[in-house]
Amino acid sequence: MMVRTLAMAALAFAVSTVAARAADPRYPDWPCSQAKVPDISLAAVWAGPALDDAESKWKDDSKVSALVSKLAARKTPLDEAERSIKEFLGGSAADKTANAKLLFAGLFDTLNAQRSQVMSGLERVSRKQREAADKIREETIQLQALQDATPRDDAKVDAMSNQLIWETRIFEDRRKVVRFVCEVPTAIDQRLFALGRVIQQEME
Amino acid sequence: MLRVGLLSGLALAAAPAHAFIAYVSNEKSNTVSVIDTESWAVTKTIKVGQRPRGIEFTRDGKFVMVAVGDDDTIQVIDAKTQAVVDTLPSGPDPELFTQDAAGKTLYVANENDNTVTVIDLEKRARLGDIQVGVEPEGMTVSPDGKILINTSETTNMAHFIDTASRQIVANVLVDARPRFAEFKHDASELWVSSEIGGTVSIVDPQKHEVIGKVNFEIPGLRKEAIQPVGIGMTKDDKTAFVALGPANRVAVVDTATRKVTKYLLVGQRVWHMAFTPDEKYLLTTNGVSNDVSVIDVAAQKVIKTIQVGELPWGITIAP
Repeated sequence: MMVRTLAMAALAFAVSTVAARAADPRYPDWPCSQAKVPDISLAAVWAGPALDDAESKWKDDSKVSALVSKLAARKTPLDEAERSIKEFLGGSAADKTANAKLLFAGLFDTLNAQRSQVMSGLERVSRKQREAADKIREETIQLQALQDATPRDDAKVDAMSNQLIWETRIFEDRRKVVRFVCEVPTAIDQRLFALGRVIQQEME
Repeated sequence: MLRVGLLSGLALAAAPAHAFIAYVSNEKSNTVSVIDTESWAVTKTIKVGQRPRGIEFTRDGKFVMVAVGDDDTIQVIDAKTQAVVDTLPSGPDPELFTQDAAGKTLYVANENDNTVTVIDLEKRARLGDIQVGVEPEGMTVSPDGKILINTSETTNMAHFIDTASRQIVANVLVDARPRFAEFKHDASELWVSSEIGGTVSIVDPQKHEVIGKVNFEIPGLRKEAIQPVGIGMTKDDKTAFVALGPANRVAVVDTATRKVTKYLLVGQRVWHMAFTPDEKYLLTTNGVSNDVSVIDVAAQKVIKTIQVGELPWGITIAP
């Protein structure tokens, strides 16, 4: 019983610290400590020439779109991605600038879309977590009532305790996953910036 | 006469630039990078405790203090041997700290327990704690050492604390999530950056009132990407530099008009900054691109990028 009481106390604490930081009033469901930037602005990552119609045309170029898929995949190591960019632009000769613009436009589109997906997933999980926290809080109160009741129904107390322990474990696991996934949008920012830098260097 | 003038000008131009040493805390790789400002290269990487963030030289330039939050302490690095030689008694999870002008007293913001620990730097001993009641975030001491400023993201205020009585004497409401505070050298103004509000509030430290605001607008950039954090003020108080986080830019602000005169493109998620003592250069930490940008202060131009460890956070330069 002692152990269980302790577990419950820990649980109440965990639930009360769902949001360690003051929430951003604009994005109440955003669970990460870094303030939310809904999408990457071109001006934040690209100091090269205006992309113009490259923004719509990159998909029509099969060579470019294949390369974009490869470079955008996080399983492709950055140094390998850099080599591929140099190879592609190195062999482009006269249309180097045009190809560079197409390639960056494709990466910008693709990585921004990837990032949006991850971010909306994070907010969905964050809403679920809030619901789970509410449920755990309510059930903790119910459990206390059951424990204090006379006569006390031990079978019911046990069932409720087990359910709470289980729900708390899921809550905690999800919380760890959220912390980990919060790093993904940043990793995408990083990749886009690094690839953009190589493309711009190759254009010079 | 003319010749003398010319000659002295020549001598000035020919004088070799003084080399300085910068220390950068890398939050994720648990290291401190040492940068030589003559070669602009990392000359050493020092292994420190877990999650190093706040970093500052002692005023005599002999030691570098670095807050290692996950180890609940502040480590002291000997600048000569570039090795960790001691620790200072902070509270749990120290994030950053500030020292008075004389370098005698250190104030440490402990993220987890709503306190500021006061440390005697000569004895390296804990003098006591100040209960600030809210999570301390940005901190700075007034030039005369009498007032400690503590910004809090839970209250969105800059709290003025009397360092003698250790009591809060005034609260000033600023914009959302205040992160950093910096006094003008003449103590006439206090500048407070707000990460979510996207502004810098200018506070009259006598009247405890917001007397102006610096706004930022960058064509083609989302407002949410503009997250002001670190502030650097030139010694003549005429120019301020403000790091804008994921806008990947540093704003140059004319302090007289409180308007931005230029935006400099640096690395990703620019966070904190430090001037070289001759004020020729300003170095910024860029947390996502894992590098440090070097700004030529007079030319207002980025002249160099130096790769450091993962998630560079703070920076300090030998006096």
